[in-house]
Amino acid sequence: MLLTEERAAAKAAARPGRRPRRDWLWGYGLIAPMALGLAVFYLWPIVQTLYLSFTESGVFGGQTWVGLDNFAALFGDEEMLGALRNTLLYSVLVLIGVPLAIVIAALLNVPGLRGLGFFRTLYFLPVVTMPAAVGLTWRYLYNGDFGLINYLLGEIGIDGPYWASDPEFAIYAIAVVGIWSSLGYNAVLFLAGLQGIPKHYYEAAAIDGAGRTRQFFRITLPLLTPTTFFVMVITLINALQVFDLVYLMIDTKSPAMAGSRTIVYLFYEQGFVQNNRGYAAAIAVVLLVLILALTALQFRLQRRWVHYE
Amino acid sequence: MRLRMTLAAALAVTLAGCGSGTDTTTKSGKITISYAIWEKNDQASTQKIIGAFQKQHPDVTVKLEITPWDQYWIKLQTAATGGAAPDVFWMNSLNVRLYAKGGVLAPIENADVSAFPQAIVDGYRYNGKLYGMPRDVGLPVLWYDKELFDKAGVTYPTADWTWDDLRAAAKKLTDPAKKQYGLLAPMWDQGGFYPTIVQAGGHVISADGKRSGFDEPGSIRGLEFWTDMINKDKVAPPAQATTDTDPVQLFMTGKYGMYYGGSWLATAFKANTERGDKVDVAPLPKGPAQEAVILLGLANAVSAKSEHPVESAQFATFLSSEEAEKILSDTGGASVSSRAGTQDGWFDAFPNYHLKEAFDASIPHGVPYPVSLNTAKWQDVQNKLLAEAWAGKRPTADAAREIAAQMNEILAKE
Amino acid sequence: MSRRWIVYAVLLVGGLIMITPFVWQLVVSLQTVTESMRVPPMPVPSWQWHNFADVFRTVPLGRQFLNTVIVTVAVTAGQLLLCSLAAFAFARLEFPGRGPIFMLFLAVLMVPGELFLLPRYEIMQGLGWLNSLQALIAPGVFGAFGTFLLRQFFKTLPRELDEAARLDGANPLQIYWWIMLPLVRPGLLALGLLTVMWSWSSLLWPLVVNTDPEMMTLSAGLASLRGQYLTDYPILFAGSVVASLPVIVLFVVMQRQLIAGIAFTGSKG
Repeated sequence: MLLTEERAAAKAAARPGRRPRRDWLWGYGLIAPMALGLAVFYLWPIVQTLYLSFTESGVFGGQTWVGLDNFAALFGDEEMLGALRNTLLYSVLVLIGVPLAIVIAALLNVPGLRGLGFFRTLYFLPVVTMPAAVGLTWRYLYNGDFGLINYLLGEIGIDGPYWASDPEFAIYAIAVVGIWSSLGYNAVLFLAGLQGIPKHYYEAAAIDGAGRTRQFFRITLPLLTPTTFFVMVITLINALQVFDLVYLMIDTKSPAMAGSRTIVYLFYEQGFVQNNRGYAAAIAVVLLVLILALTALQFRLQRRWVHYE
Repeated sequence: MRLRMTLAAALAVTLAGCGSGTDTTTKSGKITISYAIWEKNDQASTQKIIGAFQKQHPDVTVKLEITPWDQYWIKLQTAATGGAAPDVFWMNSLNVRLYAKGGVLAPIENADVSAFPQAIVDGYRYNGKLYGMPRDVGLPVLWYDKELFDKAGVTYPTADWTWDDLRAAAKKLTDPAKKQYGLLAPMWDQGGFYPTIVQAGGHVISADGKRSGFDEPGSIRGLEFWTDMINKDKVAPPAQATTDTDPVQLFMTGKYGMYYGGSWLATAFKANTERGDKVDVAPLPKGPAQEAVILLGLANAVSAKSEHPVESAQFATFLSSEEAEKILSDTGGASVSSRAGTQDGWFDAFPNYHLKEAFDASIPHGVPYPVSLNTAKWQDVQNKLLAEAWAGKRPTADAAREIAAQMNEILAKE
Repeated sequence: MSRRWIVYAVLLVGGLIMITPFVWQLVVSLQTVTESMRVPPMPVPSWQWHNFADVFRTVPLGRQFLNTVIVTVAVTAGQLLLCSLAAFAFARLEFPGRGPIFMLFLAVLMVPGELFLLPRYEIMQGLGWLNSLQALIAPGVFGAFGTFLLRQFFKTLPRELDEAARLDGANPLQIYWWIMLPLVRPGLLALGLLTVMWSWSSLLWPLVVNTDPEMMTLSAGLASLRGQYLTDYPILFAGSVVASLPVIVLFVVMQRQLIAGIAFTGSKG
């Protein structure tokens, strides 16, 4: 009995495209732990956050339903509008850093380059370093009185500002750190993309008499666009959620806070410092909508500039 | 296989790590109460006081938890929400009403607090009941760098100094070429702009706690005292500088003449071997309207949900006893006790600094820290808007009026 | 020839900018506070090794180090096991609803992490898990990204493999464990390394859920250290060096595998 069943199963398995019903159970069984965890720690929280965004929380717990009040308040809240502005500015600045990664990758991809591993290590080091440590280090480098950056600027006659404490400069200062710490990651992705470009394209172009620069703009950049697109999507999603650097580099009472408070920082402040859980949930929902909208926009625009082979 | 073993090992370690929960009752009928504070410089004295208490109550063990200020209030609020606040914990006048109203604190019955300054005790009364046993007194004082004064030929600050004396000295001490400033002017409420607001005849909040006083002419003058020093007279470094680097640290570089700082800095300054003996203290200068200084004293509060209410109340009361307060002062840590007659030990611990003179001159003019029910909420508004004024991005009077408007809205909802 | 030198020069200057913050951090971690505030800056340390001892004394850094190791190991092991199980099922087994369920998994990837924080916090509060290591581990072992990544690896394996095994009478779990898992080792390694990196550095969740210094991870511990020491950089940097060194060492040792893994996410993502 058992034997025949197994043989039948084996037969069924031997035929491509058909599987015995027992596979169903195995399938459900194997995804069950992950599905359960995702349901509890991901899906349910999404639903719950949506619900919370329509409530107001008491100082020591408890909620009352307030409808759309939180969202109405958000759009009149100067801090939220400021956070929105800062976050978008930061994202744009970090996106501007993407071409830098292409340049580094192209240089690392020069045939016969010696010490590739060494350079890759240098550029990748910031990626594996804890953002908390990165934030502290840069805050010191940026120090207006004792920082290395202003010292070096002073040597060439420039009186640098208090980078991380000045409302005019802080967000740019943070964005530089953002670029610095993701440059290696992006360069590695671009390097993989570059190595995927078939050599014969270049050979053909060389025969046609195209120089290195021309080859770079005519072949490399267009064929790299799928990677560029991927990097830009990931970079934007991460940039819209920046928190660690702001938290470590800007003091709560700093004059620069208004100019560098990001959406997630405001979310943290409202949800876990001031205990306005409902309001914080509304901020998170706005962030979700923003990320979905901007990502969708990128996918729409990709048709215009991304070349798939 | 290797994976499975790693996982099993990890789980085992985790479980072992998690087993160290807090057991409140041990076998021999002894009980344990938890005591939460935030100042690590007070650890030594607190440990001694706990020892004294445990000697009197052999059946009680006190477990000390020190959480840095940054996390202290977030942690306390979380714990209180879950009904699991420490049995006894430090409380300040800024938060006491909120916690008392929220049912987190147990009122302290029949306490004798006549030996403590009225301005501090009153900060812990809510609806006629006392919610904290006073512990220490914190006083803003004028720290000054004797070396800089000597070099510039300026006489040291005295108890008779007025705002004008301070400004004149600050000007003489400032030397832009050397990046040397007469005064440090960080944005600080208790020892900075709250006292100057009162000294100029203004107030932060009305006596009944219903209206903001930030738009009063005196209050604006009190704020402009600071912003003018930075942005007009330029005798103080920009707000960005005191944000980039902790002002206490800046003061210890010997490039800043004067600093309105807490009396509790004495222990940190004394520990600085290079410059600790080059600084001294004076009382805050008098304002155009009156002499005033904000007194801030912490208190020990008892959790309303404590499993050991009797012992917790006993411990909180003991912390304010003459014995405990004397230990606190004599240890010479960050805090000086607020109980009359127990302070001399602390003054003696810092023979280089004229702390006693500063205290004697200041205490009679002490006013309480301005609070309402949810003080933290409008202080947040105040800090955000004043940051702009300090940085010179917005006229001070303008920022002050905006604070008043927003603060009145918040107060109306309390 | 000259072009080659330009390439090296540019890469070196860039590399110098990348490495300077690390070197500077190391130098200052061995200075006194006063030296750290000197103008012009002091480029050499004065070997204040006690800064490292001090930082261990004032915050439970050793305990936080252990916490971080435990959490990282547990999260990584859990991710590898659960993700590979689910990925195997999605890639190699057929069952009704496979497509839609997988899409639901992917949808989770699109949602920013902040949306999960408040309810997760309440879950942990309800379980009495605030200030515990479980609170850090439990949500971390589940991940849609890992499932997605490993599914790509499982899909590249030839069909004939499981079919032959089935003929020998192996059940799917046996096929997964004995045949497939060894073959996706590069994928497991990549996911493992990425998970270690993320888990070691993550800040926001540990910051909100564990406020007791004894239960913090290094990332939150550093933030709390800054709360106490403000701008006393030598101490802060001593803490930073201790906190970030293990992952840097791991990276230097496993560099090739990690980079291959990242390159893979780029090409298959």
